[in-house]
Amino acid sequence: MKEKVLTEHFGLENLHKIDVYQKQGGYRATEKALKKMKPQEILEEVKKANLRGRGGAGFPAGVKWSFVPPTDKPKYLCVNADEGEPGTFKDRYIMSHNPHMLLEGIIITSFCVGISVAFIYIRGEYEAIALRLEQAISEAYEKGFLGKNILDSGFDLDIYVHRGAGAYICGEETALLESLEGKRGNPRLKPPFPASVGLFQCPTVINNVETISNISHIILNGAEWFVKQGLPKDGGTRIFGVSGMVKNPGIYELPLGTSLKDIIFKHAGGMKEGKKLKAVIPGGMSAPILTADEIDIKMDFDSLIEANSMLGSAAIIVIDDKTSILDVLKVITKFYSHESCGQCTPCRIGNSWINKIVKRIAEGKGKKEDIDNIVRLASNIEGNTLCPLGDAAAMPILSITKKFRKELESQLQP
Amino acid sequence: MIKIFIDEEPVEVEEGTTVLKAAERAGIHIPHLCYHPAFPPEGSCRMCLVEIEGFPKLELACSTVVKEDMKISTKSERVVEARKAVLEFLLAEHPLDCPICDKAGDCKLQDYYDEYGLFESQFKETKEKKEKKIKIGKHLILDQERCILCTRCVRFLKEVTKTQELGVFHRGVHSCVNIYDGAVIENNYTGNLAEICPVGAITDEDFRFKTRTWFLKEGESICPLCSRGCNILIQYHAGFSRFELPKRVYRIKARENPEVNGFWICDRGRYGYSYIDEGRTDQIILNKIERENVLTRENISEYLGEKIKSVASAEKASGIALILHTWLSNEELFLLHKIFRKGLKVEKIFFADLPQGKGDEYLLTSETSPNRRGAQEIGFDIKTVDLDALAKGTDFLLAFGPFLSGLFSLKDLKAALDKIKRKVLFSPHSNELDSLFDMVIPVALIAEKEGSLTNVEGIVQDFQPVLEPPGDSLPEWKVLSDLGKELGIDSDFFKKFPTPETILSEMGKTIPFFKRKND
Repeated sequence: MKEKVLTEHFGLENLHKIDVYQKQGGYRATEKALKKMKPQEILEEVKKANLRGRGGAGFPAGVKWSFVPPTDKPKYLCVNADEGEPGTFKDRYIMSHNPHMLLEGIIITSFCVGISVAFIYIRGEYEAIALRLEQAISEAYEKGFLGKNILDSGFDLDIYVHRGAGAYICGEETALLESLEGKRGNPRLKPPFPASVGLFQCPTVINNVETISNISHIILNGAEWFVKQGLPKDGGTRIFGVSGMVKNPGIYELPLGTSLKDIIFKHAGGMKEGKKLKAVIPGGMSAPILTADEIDIKMDFDSLIEANSMLGSAAIIVIDDKTSILDVLKVITKFYSHESCGQCTPCRIGNSWINKIVKRIAEGKGKKEDIDNIVRLASNIEGNTLCPLGDAAAMPILSITKKFRKELESQLQP
Repeated sequence: MIKIFIDEEPVEVEEGTTVLKAAERAGIHIPHLCYHPAFPPEGSCRMCLVEIEGFPKLELACSTVVKEDMKISTKSERVVEARKAVLEFLLAEHPLDCPICDKAGDCKLQDYYDEYGLFESQFKETKEKKEKKIKIGKHLILDQERCILCTRCVRFLKEVTKTQELGVFHRGVHSCVNIYDGAVIENNYTGNLAEICPVGAITDEDFRFKTRTWFLKEGESICPLCSRGCNILIQYHAGFSRFELPKRVYRIKARENPEVNGFWICDRGRYGYSYIDEGRTDQIILNKIERENVLTRENISEYLGEKIKSVASAEKASGIALILHTWLSNEELFLLHKIFRKGLKVEKIFFADLPQGKGDEYLLTSETSPNRRGAQEIGFDIKTVDLDALAKGTDFLLAFGPFLSGLFSLKDLKAALDKIKRKVLFSPHSNELDSLFDMVIPVALIAEKEGSLTNVEGIVQDFQPVLEPPGDSLPEWKVLSDLGKELGIDSDFFKKFPTPETILSEMGKTIPFFKRKND
């Protein structure tokens, strides 16, 4: 029987307080991990659980941790709570409803990798949530789950909350590190990868909030149980954030592999009165768009890749037939043009150029060659940029111009 | 060494080499804008993308390290298309003001467009407006619209001078390099910023709007303005003589030498070139001489030899005095030492140089002349001029350089020199000293002659003439080679008319310091 894992107790009064959380079995995983398990055993369990990163790229968490080399240098954990992908709003639910679940994950991950300082890099706009995290952290210190010699295990850990200043690019892991170091949030050239040279030049693990929040459940219930909640190669559930023209927008924790059609029409209550489905962006704004007749698809990493899209942050944006696709394109291109850090040429100038063309088309001054030009420019961005933002921008543009070309052409000057 | 293939040609390179450097070694230039060999790869311009077998995406040549059997393509269709794309992006926002841009002719963006671009612009939108003329330092003007955000300047100030006056502000297409509030770029190395800028975003007021790069020729030389011996390029106006030009030299640039100056030169060396064209003596000045009608640059040595011989042979050593300086080359100093110190046993040898300056902890040394170390290694005891000792019993004075006038008042100099019967000055520059000597022979500068210098660290560096010596000017070594023959000293050596090349090899035989590895 598949069940809710992360959102099980959401809605329970004062769940964010440590006493309530502990009454629901909170911090038992921490006790188990620190008292009864060796770091290597935890790592094996997480690897077996096939927990793939929930931030967007879907990289297996256990494998990522194992890349941290043995070293005398300090090691760091950075929890990516920058949640900037348009359409995505799952992490803020986790952090505001159940901050201790995240803290438990941080404690166990740090114990496993040998980390004594962890950072939560949180989106600047999440001010209230940052405060809630701070409160949860101080409760955890009081109860001895943080600080020196946690649960007499000899393991020390401090957690710091760091608020970003409002740049999408700081959700990219190396830009996040730069920002955390107090610098301009520009992505770094890879290699070296953060696992070997990360924060302050030290080995660093960077995981998404949802990824880390799964850890306590894996420790408590075992990898086998976790895999059963999802798919063999893709363990656990996923928190789908549904927004747009549906009756019940919101977050839905469902097993990986749930059909997109079911998510929209069963879980989210279907389209709003009088609206017809036109298109769906299935994994945050950078995921290639799906048309209404492409939604009979399983929502997991591999199925979406097969459909030439991606699961990304599992943020489902539902677009109805009254929405002009040109408006969608305008919003998307404006966003990436605005959020490009400006470091590398194709992303800096390409995104701005495309946005300038789209704006011109929207003003009724579109020319015949504009669509081809947009496709050409987006193709020249894709794959040629320093960080994934270039691809993130090019993918939706390329899919929209391909799948909705006729509609776009109808907006051009005759 | 490992074997890789670049454009199907096998190339052997050292392990740890980047694709870009490996290709350069194989004679293949991979276009790049942000990469500069002085800094770690930045990877932001995306010009150097190449195709590597087994890699799904194009990879950066500047940062990718080669692996055994790697197959790299620098000319495939995909690579050429990506290069074109980057150029198209850059040129979309870059002002097309080459006709009034000082970098034109010397601009990497222009060169690459010529080589890989040549497309019609598809950009029909409005370009971003940014600041066009920001004074960021004494000589430097920043044009943000021309800037392609390679950040070489930002990285230079971060990693070389460690002063960090420039940064990147704003983001996306609004990104621009700018100077931090209240900051001014004030250090000894500011001129390098204009030089490393691959486009015309940072221009140098010393050069700005003065000429066009295609009117200039350049030659390799050594900077003589301190004892570091930085390797330089002298850029000078050549041809187009229908214009009366105020000067020959328009710009000094750094020339790479990892052992001496890396990639940089200091501002003193870069901007202090006016001495090459200003205040020169280009004719023999005869103030008080018997044979004025027949004295030319051809018979100077004959005349000098005659006068030296005429000093009574018993008093020769004490009757002759020399004032030297350390702008003279190793070869010239060696000839002087051979003729006067060893041959004629002259003891009154003084040095008149510019006073010590202020060095820094990087390239600029406190010595203001280039060859003090050479003079020491040749065996000179570097004594400053003592006017009383100089004049006492001296019959004949041979002085080199214009620097004496900076050390004493004209009155004191005149009083001392009046006691000496015959005195000859060799100087490239005219000043008030000229009137105190019987004759002044104009000489060539380092930029105009051949020779070698020994820098502060003992590195001996050759230089070749870049410019013609003006008028009657002669290199000192020519006069001295003739004079040695004239005086009959070490006739085996002098009869073959030693040139800087043969002199240096002779030096290697007698002074171990100057022995070269391949001699």
